[in-house]
Amino acid sequence: MMTKTMKRLVPLLLAAAVSAQGGTVYLSFDQHSTQNLFQTREAVSEQISAFSLALEHEISALSLLANVEYSAFRQTDGLSFLAADIGLDYMVPSGARSAFYFAAGGAGAFYSRDYAAFSSLGASFLGAFKTYLAPSSILKLQWQGAYASYRDALFDFINHTASLSIDKYFPTRTTFKVDAEYGYKYFLHPFLPEPVEAAAGSSGTAVMGAGPGGGMGSGSGSGSGSGWGGQRYEGGSGFIPRYSATGGGAGIGHATVSFLAAQGLGDVVGLSASAVKQWIVSGENPFMSIEEFYFVRNPSADSFSWEGHQLTGRVTLNIPWSVEIKAGYTYSDKSYPGVESRSLDGLPLGLVRNDLRHLFEARLDKNFRRLTLFVSYAHIDNDSTDPLFAWKSGYIMGGFQWNLPSGRKGGLS
Amino acid sequence: MRRGILFIALLAAFVAGPAAAQTAGHFYNVDKEVRFEGTVREIVLEPRYKGTAPFLVLRVEEAGQARTVSVEISPSWFFGEDVHGGEKVKGIGSLSEAADGTRTIIARELQIRGKVHTLRDKRGFPGWQGGSRGRRGPRRFGIS
Repeated sequence: MMTKTMKRLVPLLLAAAVSAQGGTVYLSFDQHSTQNLFQTREAVSEQISAFSLALEHEISALSLLANVEYSAFRQTDGLSFLAADIGLDYMVPSGARSAFYFAAGGAGAFYSRDYAAFSSLGASFLGAFKTYLAPSSILKLQWQGAYASYRDALFDFINHTASLSIDKYFPTRTTFKVDAEYGYKYFLHPFLPEPVEAAAGSSGTAVMGAGPGGGMGSGSGSGSGSGWGGQRYEGGSGFIPRYSATGGGAGIGHATVSFLAAQGLGDVVGLSASAVKQWIVSGENPFMSIEEFYFVRNPSADSFSWEGHQLTGRVTLNIPWSVEIKAGYTYSDKSYPGVESRSLDGLPLGLVRNDLRHLFEARLDKNFRRLTLFVSYAHIDNDSTDPLFAWKSGYIMGGFQWNLPSGRKGGLS
Repeated sequence: MRRGILFIALLAAFVAGPAAAQTAGHFYNVDKEVRFEGTVREIVLEPRYKGTAPFLVLRVEEAGQARTVSVEISPSWFFGEDVHGGEKVKGIGSLSEAADGTRTIIARELQIRGKVHTLRDKRGFPGWQGGSRGRRGPRRFGIS
């Protein structure tokens, strides 16, 4: 099905690219290699090839964009997916040193087979304001909201984030920056209707695919039809939902502060150190044991799921011939309220999941006039109170991006 | 998958949309290319061309000289990059001088914090539209 879709899509996109006079077309290809796709102790190696085509077009202060990408997984073919998004943004000056920025967009991700439950459509909105308090100091305010509807309605959510940042640059080439953020994510209906067994006094949990009625349907007509419970996943050990007789949603809110210090050394070296502290101020994660959910929507990539802190140090080298090298180390200590740690046999350990992670990463970019090549490597050592998520692994990625103006604007050029 | 096809059709309709508006105004003259280097003293948004968003313009005090030149960057840089007063910059651009002596450089290449940004190609055609390095702000509409 995916191949057929691509065969239809590619000529359509190429035709569209040619017709996008005055805009810019971006083609990119990334090749990923990971020793541990699902980031668990039961490592699954994978090769991922990602292709994307993006179009951007500016009309006065309005920018329009569209992007389509396809990620092909060599071993875990069911995870191959097509993603697309369209959007527009608009900048409104407010005096000579300030401006508002607004953006709106829609996005979709389409999985097949076992992972079809994670196919989604969504929309997002963003409003931002930036002003120079002084030539060397910038204030930014931003609000962002998003909605996503999944094929399996269990994961549907809305969220919003409001943030404020102030920075200050000093003649010693030192920059300090402080950020504060509040975010709230609300899962619209993350609970399954209470089954008869649970209502009759069971523990209130059941392993999907392993118990009666193991299909994923929650009255929404969703699921893959064959059930997508955990035993079908490599490395998975079952999806354990929460039940609710009354239904309804569940939200989780966080407050975050962060501090960054950066120092330039000549024209070549840049150093930075940053610290982030995040608190869960309301609610908790609605999914008790969420390997499947987190295989696809990884918690370490979801800023709404954790509390704790993170420390990062980074060095950037800009060397001749437009080569940039970045290397960094990040230590994080994150807890996931509402998420139980479980033994490898699936038994509750009575602990909220907590991960300590050491991340080493390096990246090299070489820029040509219209082409950027890159290669990167990351090594992650993740210790967790949930033994399934205690793992260490390497990750290699390389690729290019090619941008091609499809037309010329008079006057500007 | 039906929803996917609908989405793709919508996408195609969008990208096949309006052609770029033609604008008039000053232009990049390759015969007047100069190198510049100095310290940013002021950052402003200024209307530059009819039918486009205001441009980020840097008032740069040239190294070793007591004069200032306006360096025209692009609209998207205002939200895409944080340029501060006091930062050292250098680059290549097309110089023009108004009757009142005001000097303006349309930047083709800008080096700031050690990194070289290509804003236009060697003929002066703008390359700052879009791209992960040139996009105006958070341009990805992820749903995570």
